Amino acid sequence: MNKRLLFINLLLFLGCSLSMIAQDRRITGKVTAASDGSALPGVTVQVKGVSKGTQTDASGSYSLSVSNNQKTVVFSFVGFTSQEITIGSKSIIDVQLVEDAKSLEEVVVVGYGTQKKTNLTGNVASITGKSIENLPVISAEQAIQGRAAGVFIESGNGKVGQGIKMRIRGSSSVSAGNNPLYIVDGIPITSTDQSTTGGPTNPIADINFNDVESIEILKDASAAAIYGSRGSNGVVILTTKKGKAGKTNFNINYFSGISEATGHREFLNTAQYVELFTEARVNAGYSVSGGETRFTRYALGERERWADPTSAKYTSTNWEDQVLRKGSVNQFDINISGGNDKTKFYASGSYSKQEGIIVKNSFERLSTRLNLDHKASDKISIGINASLARSFNTRLSNDNAFSTPMQIIALAPMSPVIDPRTGDYTDSYNNAVITQYYNPLLSIKYTDNNTEVYRSIGNIYGQWNILPTLFFRTEYGYDMLFQSEDQYYGKETVRNNPTATYGEAYKSNTNIFNYNTNNFLSFNQIFNQKHDLQALVGMSYQQSKRNYIDATARSFPSDSYKMISSGAVKADANSAERMFTFLSYFSRVNYKFDNKYLLSLSGRLDASSRFGSNNRYGFFPAASVGWILSEEEFLKDIRQISLLKVRGSYGITGNAEIANFPSLALYSAAYGYAGTPGQRAVQLPNPDLKWEKTAQTDIGLEIGLFNNRLSFEADYYTKHTSDLLLNVNVPGTSGYSTLLKNIGDLENKGWEFVVRTDNSFGDLKWKASVNAATNKNKILNLEGQVITGGFLNRAVEGQPLGVFFGPEYAGVDPANGDAIYYKNTKNSDGSVDRSTTNDVNQAQYTVIGNPNPKWIGGITNEFSYKGVDFSFTFQGVYGNDVYNGAGKFMSANGEFYDNQTIDQLNRWKKPGDITNVPQARYLPDVANGTAESSRYLQDASYTRLKTVTIGYTFPKEIVNKLKLSKLRVYATANNLLTFTKYTGWDPEVNTDYLGGVAAGNDFYSAPQPKTITAGLTIGF
Amino acid sequence: MKKNYKIIYSLALGILLTSCDNKLDVKPVDNIDSKTALQKSSDVEALLIGAYDSMTDADVLGGNMQRDAELIADNGDIQWQGTFVAPAQIFGKNLFKDNGQASTTWLDAYRTINVANTILANLNLVDASKKQKIEGEAKLIRAWMNFELVRVYAKTYLDGDPKVNLGIPIITSPTLEVSQSLYVKRNTVDQVYQVIISDLTSAESILPASNSFFATKYTAAALLSRVYLMQGNYEGARQAAHRVISSNVFRLTNTFGQEFNNKNNTTEDIFAAQQTDQDNDNALNTFWASATQFKLESGVFWGGGRGDIIINDQHLNSYDLPDDRGDFFYVAGDIFTAKWAAQIANIPLIRLAEMYLTRAEGNFRVGGAPLGANPVDDINILRTRANANPYASVNLATILRERRFELAFEGHWIHDIKRNKQTFTKDFGNEVKSYPYNSPKLIFPIPMRETDANSNMVQNEGY
Repeated sequence: MNKRLLFINLLLFLGCSLSMIAQDRRITGKVTAASDGSALPGVTVQVKGVSKGTQTDASGSYSLSVSNNQKTVVFSFVGFTSQEITIGSKSIIDVQLVEDAKSLEEVVVVGYGTQKKTNLTGNVASITGKSIENLPVISAEQAIQGRAAGVFIESGNGKVGQGIKMRIRGSSSVSAGNNPLYIVDGIPITSTDQSTTGGPTNPIADINFNDVESIEILKDASAAAIYGSRGSNGVVILTTKKGKAGKTNFNINYFSGISEATGHREFLNTAQYVELFTEARVNAGYSVSGGETRFTRYALGERERWADPTSAKYTSTNWEDQVLRKGSVNQFDINISGGNDKTKFYASGSYSKQEGIIVKNSFERLSTRLNLDHKASDKISIGINASLARSFNTRLSNDNAFSTPMQIIALAPMSPVIDPRTGDYTDSYNNAVITQYYNPLLSIKYTDNNTEVYRSIGNIYGQWNILPTLFFRTEYGYDMLFQSEDQYYGKETVRNNPTATYGEAYKSNTNIFNYNTNNFLSFNQIFNQKHDLQALVGMSYQQSKRNYIDATARSFPSDSYKMISSGAVKADANSAERMFTFLSYFSRVNYKFDNKYLLSLSGRLDASSRFGSNNRYGFFPAASVGWILSEEEFLKDIRQISLLKVRGSYGITGNAEIANFPSLALYSAAYGYAGTPGQRAVQLPNPDLKWEKTAQTDIGLEIGLFNNRLSFEADYYTKHTSDLLLNVNVPGTSGYSTLLKNIGDLENKGWEFVVRTDNSFGDLKWKASVNAATNKNKILNLEGQVITGGFLNRAVEGQPLGVFFGPEYAGVDPANGDAIYYKNTKNSDGSVDRSTTNDVNQAQYTVIGNPNPKWIGGITNEFSYKGVDFSFTFQGVYGNDVYNGAGKFMSANGEFYDNQTIDQLNRWKKPGDITNVPQARYLPDVANGTAESSRYLQDASYTRLKTVTIGYTFPKEIVNKLKLSKLRVYATANNLLTFTKYTGWDPEVNTDYLGGVAAGNDFYSAPQPKTITAGLTIGF
Repeated sequence: MKKNYKIIYSLALGILLTSCDNKLDVKPVDNIDSKTALQKSSDVEALLIGAYDSMTDADVLGGNMQRDAELIADNGDIQWQGTFVAPAQIFGKNLFKDNGQASTTWLDAYRTINVANTILANLNLVDASKKQKIEGEAKLIRAWMNFELVRVYAKTYLDGDPKVNLGIPIITSPTLEVSQSLYVKRNTVDQVYQVIISDLTSAESILPASNSFFATKYTAAALLSRVYLMQGNYEGARQAAHRVISSNVFRLTNTFGQEFNNKNNTTEDIFAAQQTDQDNDNALNTFWASATQFKLESGVFWGGGRGDIIINDQHLNSYDLPDDRGDFFYVAGDIFTAKWAAQIANIPLIRLAEMYLTRAEGNFRVGGAPLGANPVDDINILRTRANANPYASVNLATILRERRFELAFEGHWIHDIKRNKQTFTKDFGNEVKSYPYNSPKLIFPIPMRETDANSNMVQNEGY
């Protein structure tokens, strides 16, 4: 502590000594924009080499005292090229500043401040809000898919409003969370799933990303370590828009469009179904008539529906068509911004509605925002950012439920959609079931499943500019999330919801109040023109409390009553209260010498309520260096090279994304029996529990050529995570199954490349950006633990996290149609036995695939010619596998009556047949190829035309006549084309009901939407 | 500038010294610390309720144990037609070592044992007046779980030498933390039976004769009769069964149907898993009842399960009608047993009818002067209630057949096959397979997660 005070002392001393210089005469003038001559308020006017300066007022005017020996004055403003003017004898200096398209990108938001990109020694990906505005997706992460190197983003399926998986430089944890920390305007927000029923939801979807000025992704330790114990998974910083001084701008934007599924899967029609299952029964020794009885049952008892193609009643239903539909998107935004030199504001309102491509799935969001910045005096500025949003999500059951729409494809094709006897969906009649499985359309019709969220995220700040070089900033932010989930199951759904005999209702309320305060001192000064020093010291405290309550009631007089109060039987009620806190102290020093040599040091001391008192505090340091070679004398004269920089960083970050009380021995009283209260132990203690730590090294190279028209960036990183927070299997004989322990190590290694080009050929402008990244994940040590998840996923030493581990399918024995597997057992000489067996239990489990991509990347191109703009983004994921967990049902060579994928017609029929589909056998005593194995694993690499936009901005003359400032029409398509060999609905898939180490599993997961919109932007 | 100094100093101090340390001590609210949870007698009593809840969980005696005992023994009487992989493997007598049910049954049973052990280790907290009762209940629960585990995961007692055959690990102390002592080995089958008998004998001696719907001394005696029967100790079995019958605490329901689908215990129930609207964990209804629901004249709804297990003609035709038990089925598209038809109904785990059957079998096998009643009379009590014609005489085959009629789908089938060393066959369409009582296919694997987590665990033959 003494050291820190000394340090502040030193800063102060330097600051004071420099402000003692004599003042002499006054220059005045006005600063305007070169493009349209409008006044520019807020321009920094500074005497070169001295800290002294001022800013222009609302009319662009300034007044500055200079001494006689000061020769040059510098005018600088964000978004414009700085200008230096020799004072000479002038007393009035008017300046026109030229807009600089690139300079906007040059300042990036980092933790607790901003930094010039050229000065960065860490790895930060920056995406402008402009590049993603008006994309027809729900949440910000979906919008940036493919736009940042090394950032893997995956929508698990096509349900709108669902959880999104994001991995920055791979997965650094096995049992703890792997999603990044989200910061909105300096405040860590609630970003984890809050769903208590069905699949996960996405709290990021409550944020209207059209309000976002920029998204920064802190990837390496040097960038992320300032967030200490929460930086291991990377940090995503969303910064919302601010007003600019000057005229008040109104912007109105509206777009509307339609969507449909990216992919389809073909199933057997009635004739094919009858053929395959008849054959399957015969092959397994069952009677043909037994099968026919079954077909007739599915066909409402009317044999002609399946047996007689000439009959008017003949039925061959494509069930997929009943649940996939044309969706729609509509969004209306209005924003108003402006202000004067004292007060600036940005206000917005937005309404967005998406009808999903799956029946009865929609997402609606109404959001407003007000960002206000006010300068109370030269020294004090204050501000407030506040947003309020309401989202309403009409949800579906998770992929594992019979009621989820996509499971409808299991139904037999000879069942008609509507049973004419009941006029309702075919399912049961007279207490007898007709369809093999519950018909999900009944749930679509008779179930309500709505989640409504009220969300407010905001903060107030005060900044005191103690000296021109030193400010103190205090921020208090909050994130309030009020979620209510309402479900009602009508009595018609009783086959699927047995307790809904007379209807059943469920309601839950989840309230999270999360607040955070940041307080820090920031210092920034250039000494003797050579030493550029930035220093930061501060603290933060976060507290998040979640309150939860739910209730279930049954027995309703009719489906018109749906509230808990109307149910005669109050069946269940639960509540919970959870809280966690983080207390942190942080400091950072950035030093640049002679514009060439960069050094950055940071440290954060973190404590959290989540850890045992034995290990409550963790320290997270990082150091990084950079060398701007292009500033060296030997390169300075090579005009082609505008930037050549090498940088390196090393640091330690942590991961605390675990349950709130994992270190304690816990008892729960949720174990009453027949109305008598009961309790039992639910968790073993581990008082030694501590942070999971990731040590990350990053080496980067940045090259800019031809005045930065072509730039190139490459990074190599290694992330080594130790003390993994691991749910370790303990012997079940203990009465417990797992214990959270710090065990083991894993690493991620990878390359990231970014190439950008920015060209103008007369009126034609072309910008392109290509990013590509590899990541190689490897579990180094789990102390022998084998952690399983999903169908065949595992965490196992020496392999990537979640690797598919199971029997290796060897196809079909041409002699008898048996499914065969490679034995893969070790021979005595150490070699692997590649002979085959038809007994899957004889096949050694082995690595059969990897859900983690080898490469991810994206290509964005933007063209503009006069008023026309055209841009597109391709996004790709390569070298990953997807496991179809439903393969054993839908591609099971007729093992049971689930309708089969069309490829099952290629089954083995007679000796000598060469095929990959085993002989059709109905309910055999030994499953013929339907055991979980590599049979259901596929390469799921894909390339996707993620977005394509074409727009036209009307020329000034027309716009001015209409008394507008801007008029643009545009059309955008999202997921327009997908190139893949994956034969399922969509290669971008991760079913929503599996957790833990499960990854890359398809299980009746709905495809992604392909969306086309047209829109209009009006500014005045 | 001096003013600035002071302000900056105080700001800096303010930032660095702000003590929020106490804010880090967040206490759990909905779950509580174990020390807080176990302080007084009522805490241990609540733990005992937790033990009953754990024991009657769906994966244990809430129904899946009984379901699996029927599925694995099936010879064509029933048909599994559900989508769950684990029971389908059990029905096919072709379990993989990662079978999910094998894992869950194991974990939940040992969880229950750990709760019972925690109770027994904290008896010092219990009020003196309640101590014996609670001790007896905890011992009974522990014994019951050990009995189910050893029957499912090990060779049956009468197969080879139980003093050599591996049983399951015997755990007698609560787990407080992870230590080396948790990495246990399997005890022998005989050792496991010894602790079961010791616990049950003790429980019978200290439990009260009445205890609401919780365990009584008769529950312990009834369970003992089952244990002895598995050992082939017919003398012990008939005596234990006789102690229950002769207590006259229990009485057969007037009709066979009255014994099932009740929200309250019947006069016949010696022990039943309680189900209520608020706490319903009846896995037998889940799997054995039709998916559709319909209202009986009495106003009770039947059905509401998954309709996963249907009854085949082979079973229906096996009864000699008239017999109410052969008519205790219902049609909802397919044919389902009516025993588990109502959604919220207690599950009889031990009922008086079984005691008559056990006493009859014991008396018959031991020979000589019968205890309580002649075997034929005990059997005819049940037949008369079921409106079946009484027998003039019985032999072992008729007694065992009667046992099947009476106790079908209640979770006895595989155990009766094993203790009687029977071989059964099953027609798989292309192939008729034969299963001797000691086939390794009829024994669950030690769960793979367990052999992975504990290298001291020896896997069963064939996995």
